[in-house]
Amino acid sequence: MPPKQTTEKGHSDEKVPSDGTQTSFARQKGKVREIFSIPAPIKKLFDLVPVVVYPANPLPQRAPKSARIPSLYVFSKGQDAAAGRPSVNPSCLKWQTFLNIAGIDHRLVSSNNHASPTGALPFLLPAIHNSDSLQETLPVPSNKFVKYATEHGGIVEESASMRYSAYQSLLDHRIRNAWLFTLYLEPLNFSAVAYPLYVASTSSNPIVRASISHQLRNAAEAQLLKHTPVIDTDDLYSEADKAFEALSILLGEDSWFFGNGKPALFDASVFAYTQLLLDDDLGWKEKKLCRALRVRDNLVQHRERLLVRYYGGS
Amino acid sequence: MANPADSGDDLFESLRKQDPKAEEKAKLVAEREAAQNAKAQQRLMELIGSNSSLPVTVSSIRVIGVNHTRRAFLDRIFDPLLSANRDAPYTLGEALQEVGSAADKLRRFEIFHPSLHTFVDRPSPTDPSSTPTDIDIYLKAEERSRISLKTGTDLGNVEGSAYGNLTWRNIFGGAESLNLNASAGTRTRSAYQATFETPVLSDPEKRITVDALQSSTSKPWCSHDEALKGMGLKYSWATESGTRHQVGYTGVWRQVTGLAANASPTVRHDAGDSVKSSISHTWLSDQRNHPFLPNKGYLLKTVSEIAGWGPLQGDVAFWKSEFETSGAIAVPVPGIQGDSGVSLTGGFRTGMLYPLPVGFSSTSQPSRINDRFQLGGPTDVRGFKISGLGPRDGPDAVGGDIYAAGSANLLVPFPRVGKDSPLRMQFFANAGRLLALRDLGEQGSKSTQKSVYSTVAQLADGAPSLAAGVGVVYAHPVARFEMNFSLPLILRRGEEGRKGLQFGVGINFL
Repeated sequence: MPPKQTTEKGHSDEKVPSDGTQTSFARQKGKVREIFSIPAPIKKLFDLVPVVVYPANPLPQRAPKSARIPSLYVFSKGQDAAAGRPSVNPSCLKWQTFLNIAGIDHRLVSSNNHASPTGALPFLLPAIHNSDSLQETLPVPSNKFVKYATEHGGIVEESASMRYSAYQSLLDHRIRNAWLFTLYLEPLNFSAVAYPLYVASTSSNPIVRASISHQLRNAAEAQLLKHTPVIDTDDLYSEADKAFEALSILLGEDSWFFGNGKPALFDASVFAYTQLLLDDDLGWKEKKLCRALRVRDNLVQHRERLLVRYYGGS
Repeated sequence: MANPADSGDDLFESLRKQDPKAEEKAKLVAEREAAQNAKAQQRLMELIGSNSSLPVTVSSIRVIGVNHTRRAFLDRIFDPLLSANRDAPYTLGEALQEVGSAADKLRRFEIFHPSLHTFVDRPSPTDPSSTPTDIDIYLKAEERSRISLKTGTDLGNVEGSAYGNLTWRNIFGGAESLNLNASAGTRTRSAYQATFETPVLSDPEKRITVDALQSSTSKPWCSHDEALKGMGLKYSWATESGTRHQVGYTGVWRQVTGLAANASPTVRHDAGDSVKSSISHTWLSDQRNHPFLPNKGYLLKTVSEIAGWGPLQGDVAFWKSEFETSGAIAVPVPGIQGDSGVSLTGGFRTGMLYPLPVGFSSTSQPSRINDRFQLGGPTDVRGFKISGLGPRDGPDAVGGDIYAAGSANLLVPFPRVGKDSPLRMQFFANAGRLLALRDLGEQGSKSTQKSVYSTVAQLADGAPSLAAGVGVVYAHPVARFEMNFSLPLILRRGEEGRKGLQFGVGINFL
């Protein structure tokens, strides 16, 4: 049955839509959709049910209470999350410090990698306000934190110089590789530092713990083997030493990197490693990397400054 | 003289034509054979019948064709039959009955082909070790192939899967079997299972099973995937009245992972690893006359599980108990004599999860999402989406600790098709309620008890979530198929009802 519009249009070209009328194809699509849509009497019936709607069921006991401020999910030990103490993972600590620098009010939740939308911590769950759209309540992964902070009234001043990315790569590669080696592949350090932080918190069963330890060490080894065919410990440590030297020279006599008046994201990135390597509470046994850092006084003081400013001293 | 070409054609034609006389002869022969067999059976029955009280002694039992089965295993089944081991004398009828039940036992091990032949003979009178009343019994069995490989598709409750299965039977000669199974399905992404089973003391009803499992299941109603790795040890037995029991220990490492982007905070909080170490007991009594379309009888089932308490250790501790009952009665219709085909079935399920302290500590932990119950779905409370009932956080059904659900279904045969077909028309109404334990904000064991009591009281708070509708049921030998048009009538805010058509496939419907 031809739609009414064609008879009105007469001999006009059906392919070219005139203002206010659809093409024939769009009309046919609409017709097909109508066949599968619910017929009117049944639609009326559907509108009548459900007859009674009671208030919602209360949530179980383990459900976290909804917070009025955003929640940052990080690795932390014991009661540290409630107290706002620095996280024990470099990536989490970097972004935790960044949020503190930017002045974004947040609370910490102790969590693990499985909870994250990207498979790695940290991530941020925005606070729920009733007027939020679904998009706004989705978790924010760490690579979108800068954007989030700028949108939510944080103070973010980033310098985008060529030197910046060069020094950032020092942190991301040389220091990070040495960190991975000293934490996961040094047996003394693994059992003293990594095991209580990352393995013991997953489960109380020894078989599961052994399996997870094995997975962690393999993952660290695989990560290191991506850049070099063979893991050379002396090479790793000497490269990290040179990187620390370069950072120390960059900082010089200033309080903050790049001569800024206030700390910025780069300061947070450096703090993430200096805080963990210089923290004796973690229980480091093989301290070669820690000693290499401690020699550089200005980096030690830079860490102290940030610790006092945002975490209430040591 | 006929034309050679014509005779050739005639020859072919005559060959092609079926000789009616030959057909008749073949029919006669077959009839005579059948008559002879019938007469032989008749004679045998008369012989046994008239001699059933003849005193006999069973002097030997020979089992032929069992090359791979252990002697000790067969001894335990057949030794009690020998007259040397019995105090009371036998009559022929009793002896044949005992042999029949022993043969049935052999059949139930499933290591032999189902056709077991029994022969009875008198030993030669010249044999000095035989007495005049002696009979010898011969059992002819054919062993099934020791290794069999099977691939196929499987239909479970709202899931379809494809599987590959390797069975190794009668490994050590005592009807032990090893079963290796790998499957991939719509919901269970991958599952690998190895099961070793052996009967205890040559009794097919008593079995010990050791199994190991690794699987990854997606739970879209809860925005996560659950990866399981575990092993279990089970002992199952059946009593004479047909009730089955199973007691077992299971240790399982569960991992909640692969969260969707919009997963709720409750699910994010429960993400990660947990180990459950538990002892469970299942009791089943199925007295229905048909598993999918019963019109007589009842079903009773309880499942109890205790996890993590005392020496069991693990990361979670609870006492979980589920009870299921279902019954069917035939409804007599005034105008129709005998079985009208109309039946009324009802079902009721309830369950409770009671948190306990882990190991020997004193404070009990709240339940995790892996252990809580889910309710709702085409095989459960119809008219609601899968896990549509219960507490919800955003898009996720986070499960509850206490539930009760019931249904009433009226099955009516279609007027033209009749009651002998497996098709029925169904009018149903079902309701359910799933609640999580209330958080009273207190600590200590008394608070768990108070919390459970107050949650059970809350079950009766207001009307339960209810749906009703009409549909078609098809009872295939493999599973029960249903297509229902349902309307959810009473809901809680957040619960997801299904208005309109809903399709369900399964074995175990409410």
